[in-house]
Amino acid sequence: MSGDPSRPFKWVTVICSVVTAGFLVAAAVRENVSADWRGHQAVFRGILLSKAKDDTARATARNLPIEIRQVVVPALHTVDRCVTCHLGIDDPRMTDVPNPHRVHPKKLLAIHRVEKFGCTVCHQGQGAALNFEEAKAEDYFWDYPLLPAKFTEATCASCHDPRALPKGSAEKLVLGMQLFEQKGCNGCHKLNGKGGQLGPALDNEGLKTKHQFVRANLKGSQTNWNWFAEHFRDPAGIVAGSLMPMPALSQPQVEALTVFMLSLRQRDLPAEYLAPDKIDEQYARLHPPAPDGAALYHRYCAACHDTGLHSRWDKKFARFVPGIRNAAFIRAEDDECLAENIREGRPGTRMPGWGPKAGGLSDAEVTALVAYLRTSAPAMVLPPAPPRGEATRGAALFAQECAGCHGMDGKGVIAPALANPVFQQAATDAFISQTIRAGRENTPMPAFGRAGVSESQIGDLLAYIRRWQPPTKQARSQRP
Amino acid sequence: MTPIQEFLENLKQTPRHIRESAMRNGKAPETDRERSQSTLHNLFLHMQSVRTDRRSLRFAYTFGLGLILTASFVVLTITGILLMVYYKPGVELAYNSVKDIHFVVPAGRFIRNIHRWSAHLMVLAVFLHMARVFYTGSYKRPREFNWLIGLALLVFTLGLSFTGYLLPWDQLAYWAVTIGANIASSPREVTDAIGITAWFDPGGFQKQLLLGANYVGQESLIRFYVLHVAVLPLLISAFMGLHFWRVRKDGGLSRDESKPAPPARIGDRDLEVFAPTKTYGLMAVVRGRTPVVGRSPEGSVSSWPNLMWAELAAFMFTIAVTLVLSYFFDAPLKEMANPAIPENPAKAPWYFLGLQELVSYSAFMGGVGIPSIVLIGLGLIPYLDRDPRGVGIWFGGPAGRRTFWQSLAYGLTSVIALLAVTVNFGWLRTWFPTIPQIAIIILNPATVIVAMFSAWSLWVLRRTGSIRMSAVALFTCFLAGFVVLTAMGSIFRGPNWHFYWWPSQWPTH
Amino acid sequence: MPDSPKRRDFLGLTALWGVVIAMGTALAGVMRLPKPAVQPGPLRVFKLGDPAQFAVGSTTRVETGGFFLFREEQGFHAISSVCTHLGCVVAHNEGEGFACPCHGSRFSTDGSVIGGPAPAALPWLEIVLSPDGQLQVNAESAVPKGSRFKV
Repeated sequence: MSGDPSRPFKWVTVICSVVTAGFLVAAAVRENVSADWRGHQAVFRGILLSKAKDDTARATARNLPIEIRQVVVPALHTVDRCVTCHLGIDDPRMTDVPNPHRVHPKKLLAIHRVEKFGCTVCHQGQGAALNFEEAKAEDYFWDYPLLPAKFTEATCASCHDPRALPKGSAEKLVLGMQLFEQKGCNGCHKLNGKGGQLGPALDNEGLKTKHQFVRANLKGSQTNWNWFAEHFRDPAGIVAGSLMPMPALSQPQVEALTVFMLSLRQRDLPAEYLAPDKIDEQYARLHPPAPDGAALYHRYCAACHDTGLHSRWDKKFARFVPGIRNAAFIRAEDDECLAENIREGRPGTRMPGWGPKAGGLSDAEVTALVAYLRTSAPAMVLPPAPPRGEATRGAALFAQECAGCHGMDGKGVIAPALANPVFQQAATDAFISQTIRAGRENTPMPAFGRAGVSESQIGDLLAYIRRWQPPTKQARSQRP
Repeated sequence: MTPIQEFLENLKQTPRHIRESAMRNGKAPETDRERSQSTLHNLFLHMQSVRTDRRSLRFAYTFGLGLILTASFVVLTITGILLMVYYKPGVELAYNSVKDIHFVVPAGRFIRNIHRWSAHLMVLAVFLHMARVFYTGSYKRPREFNWLIGLALLVFTLGLSFTGYLLPWDQLAYWAVTIGANIASSPREVTDAIGITAWFDPGGFQKQLLLGANYVGQESLIRFYVLHVAVLPLLISAFMGLHFWRVRKDGGLSRDESKPAPPARIGDRDLEVFAPTKTYGLMAVVRGRTPVVGRSPEGSVSSWPNLMWAELAAFMFTIAVTLVLSYFFDAPLKEMANPAIPENPAKAPWYFLGLQELVSYSAFMGGVGIPSIVLIGLGLIPYLDRDPRGVGIWFGGPAGRRTFWQSLAYGLTSVIALLAVTVNFGWLRTWFPTIPQIAIIILNPATVIVAMFSAWSLWVLRRTGSIRMSAVALFTCFLAGFVVLTAMGSIFRGPNWHFYWWPSQWPTH
Repeated sequence: MPDSPKRRDFLGLTALWGVVIAMGTALAGVMRLPKPAVQPGPLRVFKLGDPAQFAVGSTTRVETGGFFLFREEQGFHAISSVCTHLGCVVAHNEGEGFACPCHGSRFSTDGSVIGGPAPAALPWLEIVLSPDGQLQVNAESAVPKGSRFKV
């Protein structure tokens, strides 16, 4: 034959057909023969057979179908295929077998039936997957990877009040909740609408995806629990420029707080899934018991003000933080004034407002806080303020005596800010003049009255200081 | 035979009679003549001519790209219909339906991968096919209109790929389409710059038409779905039919008519050619003793079996490559679409990345200006280059080959150099922050590149005196530019569209 | 000139058969796609709790499962409440059997058809004891009429 022009094409066809058929078969084998889950089910069949006690059980074991199994829970928008490999998860006999065949620990599935809950509602992970790597979904394009076993109790809080659970159920979570209150985290972070505003609100922290975290400095697994753990160890190392002080925490405490962070979820679970203790918890939130001033102080104020007995210089704020339980201060202030300061805060400084609209504290709570502060000293009757004098003379005196600490602009980085609208609103002339006159014990504020400043000079200073008063609000001293 | 016997005999013969009735000759073709007749008369086979020029079957001439495209389209249609059995086009359901296809649907993972890689191959092949047709001068008379149909097919192919891109409703899809839709609204850049947007807003109109809303959402998904599974496949099928019909009517695949044809081949013998020009068209060639046989000036072979082998080889090659890719590489699927968390960087599909790079300089120029110029320019090629010589010859000859290499070098260097300038020194707004936007629309890397290419092409025109050479120069420059810009957009652009040498250097958020 | 003598085109034949086999394999694989590998709805296996909660002689209607559970001295049995005619839900009349409201099919207490268009008896459903000690009815698995499950 003098050259069949189609020869090369026939060769290409043969080779490509072989390749095609080969890869088709390979794909079919990969799916139908060598898939991991099939192997697991075959092993489980053997286990069932070995545990069978009579002929019917043996027949059932031998006839166990090798098929994909899934739990569909429409109420939770869940389709979980974990049971394809974890066939023995709710079989109490499977205590002495290796994973994935072992029964769920702590007999939890007796009270959380798989058919009603699925698996991912507690464990997270990619329930639709049919192999462990993709079900775990760590380092994967999946928002909620499988929670490590030690952190799984974080999800208990979605349906339960962890404190109402039996001992040993959610120890880490309860410890985390306690630490959060004790360490005063609410001082900067809002939770459930109450707290400071220096840091972000934490209400949905547990459902944040890894893309919502600053991970530039995060070493190790790029998961949110690793981020929490590292952040608790060294906040500024993780978030450059963070003002969060480094809390002194042991490793178990770090884990407890991490679990607590993971538990903060705003989830929309159907009512039938909420345990009664959870409903009680929500009720208690809406009908809080009588507020405890000391506990409130600890929770919201201590993070910045420490014991409050002394003023302090905060390195991170690069600013002085007043001692708000200083006896001399408390003596000079009246309750209304204290309440106003707490409610309105100090705009322009790190002190936020704590009133119902700002920090979320109710009026009752503010009153309780004031009562706690009041324990430092009873209110004194202030001597009357001298009449306001001349502001220009006051300016010269201010520059000489006061500006060194309070700043010429009254912004006061190493001393309280006098040019602050809330200060101007809350403080009376009598209070200001008393403070100038008598100073404030245990703070750097000297008693200028004893140092030779006359009453009329105090009046001049008053006039000058009141120049910073915002025009819209009337100072209390001028109210009828 | 009694009537009952006749009835039973007919019943017994029915299988054989069914077979015979299906074939007009009553049996499968056995001789060349019968094969030729089948090719002519059969519904499916008559798409081919009875005889095929030998030169059309040369691999190094066409690289089988047209066949690869057709094969890809068939594969895509079949796998697409299969995927439609399980895919659900609602924003709540789409992502999970794709995950289910991947995990539990029998053969779902494989079929989805095939669909994805076949789509990418088809887009790649359509660009290569256009380049092949251009460089062999196969747009010249009488094939000008088929070139235009081909351009329409290019647009439909890109449209199919882009509409399909959104359907998985994952982060990749969502943000790519957001970018694409904003590119569609880029005329706003011009109407804003001259202040007429309130009365004349084609950009906003285009975006609304595409998305059905101001944002990518359920409306967009259903529109893209309808376009992807119904409208565009119908259009592309119709135009493909037209494209093949035109190939037949224009005399088959182009070939170099200036040289004498290779001998005709009948059976397994070559025959000498006597008459240099055609005096009549042949419908079929049969074996026989008439002098007509052997005097055919066409250097042709029977389509059945030769063309069919070529087609089968191309089909199987396409399928084999697609299957190998689909076995080893899964089609990408990121997290579910989340409008609150933009991908950074958010990238369009690879074939639009060059445009996205240009859009980063000027939205209008990159999104509307340059693509329009390119499409119109491509469409004009057959009407500007009217020289009928050089059809069927790659680059038109050695001179053309030289022009090609020179233009390639020029195109690559000029684009890379310009990109180096913008990466290191910025552009107008870096140096003159208050410059009006209209200045940037007019003078930006995209327009500069077009100007540089045009200048080169004009220089080649003056130097060679040949419009085809200048077209080769311009086309090659744009081809080089497309490759460099696509590479730039896919590899060297990271978060915030900053330049990075390698993705490993991208800062984690 | 005559046709050249037919020589077997092995390569061509191999190529053609190769294509047929490859495409045939592909078709076979593709044909498997439409049949779901796993049923999409919730499981039709129902755990009903401790068997002791069902008194002897009781009839319990399990609406979600589409069956009735009976406990008698001989043991448990479950009869499907889906009419075998066209799928309506039958009602149970104590002592008389089942009646379907749609087309009037009637069944005796053991599910046999006694009237109406139903073509077959109501199936009896498989009952087992689950590993965690609950009564478990599989609404997708039928057992012979008359089988009882003894605890």
